[in-house]
Amino acid sequence: MDQLSHLMEGFAGALTLANLVWVIVGALLGTAVGVLPGLGSSMAVALLLPVTFSLDPTAALIMFAGIYFGGMFGDSTAGILLNTPGASSAIATTFEGHRMAKSGQAARALATAAMGAFIGGLLASTLVVFFAPTLVKLATEFGPAEYFALAVFAFVAISSVVSDSIIKGLTTLCIGLVLAMIGVDDSSGTTRFTLGSQQLFDGLSIVVITVGLLALGEVIHVASRVHRDPNAVRIPASGRARLSLPDFRKAMPAWLRGTAFGVPFGIIPAGGAEIPTFLAYGTEKRLAAKRRDQEFGTTGSINGVAAPEAAGNATAGMAMGALLALGLPVSATAALMLAAFQQYGMQPGPLLFERSGDLVWTLLASLFVGLIILLIINMQFASLWAKLLLVPRQYLYAGITVLSMLGVYAVSSSLVDLWFLLAIGVLGFVMRRYNFPVAPVLIAVILGPLAETSLRNALTVSEGDLGYLVSSPATIIMYALLVVAVVYAAVKHSQTRRAEREEARLLEDA
Amino acid sequence: MSATDTAPVERETVKITGFWSGRSELVVSGLVLALATAVVVGILTMDVKGDTVPGPQFFPTIVAVALYAIGVLHAISVIRTRRFPHGGGSQSPDVSSDMLAELSHAERAEVYGRRGDRPRAAGRVRLYSDWKTIGLVVGGVVLFILALPVLGWVITAAGLFWVICKAFGSKRPVFDVGVSLLFSSITQLAFGAGLGLSLPSGFLGGML
Repeated sequence: MDQLSHLMEGFAGALTLANLVWVIVGALLGTAVGVLPGLGSSMAVALLLPVTFSLDPTAALIMFAGIYFGGMFGDSTAGILLNTPGASSAIATTFEGHRMAKSGQAARALATAAMGAFIGGLLASTLVVFFAPTLVKLATEFGPAEYFALAVFAFVAISSVVSDSIIKGLTTLCIGLVLAMIGVDDSSGTTRFTLGSQQLFDGLSIVVITVGLLALGEVIHVASRVHRDPNAVRIPASGRARLSLPDFRKAMPAWLRGTAFGVPFGIIPAGGAEIPTFLAYGTEKRLAAKRRDQEFGTTGSINGVAAPEAAGNATAGMAMGALLALGLPVSATAALMLAAFQQYGMQPGPLLFERSGDLVWTLLASLFVGLIILLIINMQFASLWAKLLLVPRQYLYAGITVLSMLGVYAVSSSLVDLWFLLAIGVLGFVMRRYNFPVAPVLIAVILGPLAETSLRNALTVSEGDLGYLVSSPATIIMYALLVVAVVYAAVKHSQTRRAEREEARLLEDA
Repeated sequence: MSATDTAPVERETVKITGFWSGRSELVVSGLVLALATAVVVGILTMDVKGDTVPGPQFFPTIVAVALYAIGVLHAISVIRTRRFPHGGGSQSPDVSSDMLAELSHAERAEVYGRRGDRPRAAGRVRLYSDWKTIGLVVGGVVLFILALPVLGWVITAAGLFWVICKAFGSKRPVFDVGVSLLFSSITQLAFGAGLGLSLPSGFLGGML
């Protein structure tokens, strides 16, 4: 087994003192931002992206992977104990998890969640180790037409199929594409949309866009509501996570079912963990109804916690594989990790395994190390993490604002970048205010150049024949899947819109 | 055991007073159309180099057409249906809550909490967004950018930290001064001295 020897070498790299420290830092940071509602792993990676310029790429990427996984572990803690999920990927866990906590089984719920995240992540990472070479082989056969299809698939899936509104999703997607086009065009050397500014020749820095949208935009949005929305009174909970053997046996099938839902969504760009976690929760709910499980929906069933948690982290694990082998980001955090690779001059995809094999295998090995560390810190110190919720909100958001400024200024010591940051931050606020999704902007900014280059290359090769774009089985399959998904989503959306219009009409009459 | 108790919700009432009630989102349609026009101007004034086909104007043209189409469609949908914010729910527009509800066989309300209060035809009219707080935050950032090269990182960052605390309703302004200075000094030490980022030292740098 080639992969095993590679992985062993990876462990040798990951278990050095320096890299272990970065895994632990990533795990701690990830859990912390996961626990805190409103902060997510994507925001944490965006803020850290610029300040890790001076770090060794391996160290930085190991830390980011730790943050990605850590966010998945931490988000359920606050959800279970306080009914405030730390991120949208933990909403499905919170339903049954908080019911368990209310009926005095917080410790069981926390343990089931942490164990579920561990198992989901472990199985997905193992799959990545064994199937990454296959994915790489698949990707080496991709030409410009296939890469364009892949980018279109990611664009449309994230902006239209999964988002709340097709029009809004496409709007932010196009805004992202415009932001990505600023600067010198690589293939012709033409300067585009720089408004004559020397600063914009290299394009708008990805750091400015991500920090502005995810961090500063969020701060302004929270500010716009902080004196209006009711404050939840938070009572910190106690409880150390533990799991008995019968519980373990009962939850095992649910963990495995959840993992099975999560793994495919690590390759499908559907915005991350929300869909698989809800699918897993829905399945457990149906199974419980079939088995006449009295606990489900009343005192809380551990299966309802186990499956979504496993699904969430399985998605995160598999997403790392899709990112490394195909260069395809399936979620906002994965898109930021892709930006991190590009910052170090590396392009994830088939060539990465050849050119930077050491780094890839060290990173994969560190996923396993990170999972073990996360399991320990989340099982043993769950109630300690919940205390983070006592940090006054003003200090949290003041800290985020200052760190945003620090990060963007650090990139090129330019004050102009700070003005751009403020502009993007205001854009982020407007998008949140009117419920526009943010994820399509990130995907467009990061995959936009790839889409444009591959489209132009494909058309150059085919001498302008559009048929070339759909000439291979892979492209036909991708477009066909996309059409089916879009039609289905359009029907669903139009039903919702009709209902909303009726509601609005009632108001006008009133 | 744990519990989350929500303080009694202050009812937010919405009053339909004219055409613009529930239609402020048209601002976004306008911005989208303006962006599309800016892209078109950019394409027309582009100083094209090289003779690659398709050239550098090809992709922007597609995006510009899409932006115009989306802007118009969005405006139509907002004019047809008034939209009111759904209160302060944790709903993320990144993923459709209807779809999640369907996937999990749950009610929509269960997925993201109940929807905000329905608009009513009576009551006090108040802007949804708190522009005073937004102004404080944005103003703080503007002052920060202007003062950074003069005053240096430690003082300006502490000032920004303090302003944001104030905006978010901190009740201990004097204590906050300490927290702010501590935070900015720690970042200076950790990122400036530790990771070697160059942060402006301002006039303090000349004295030290």
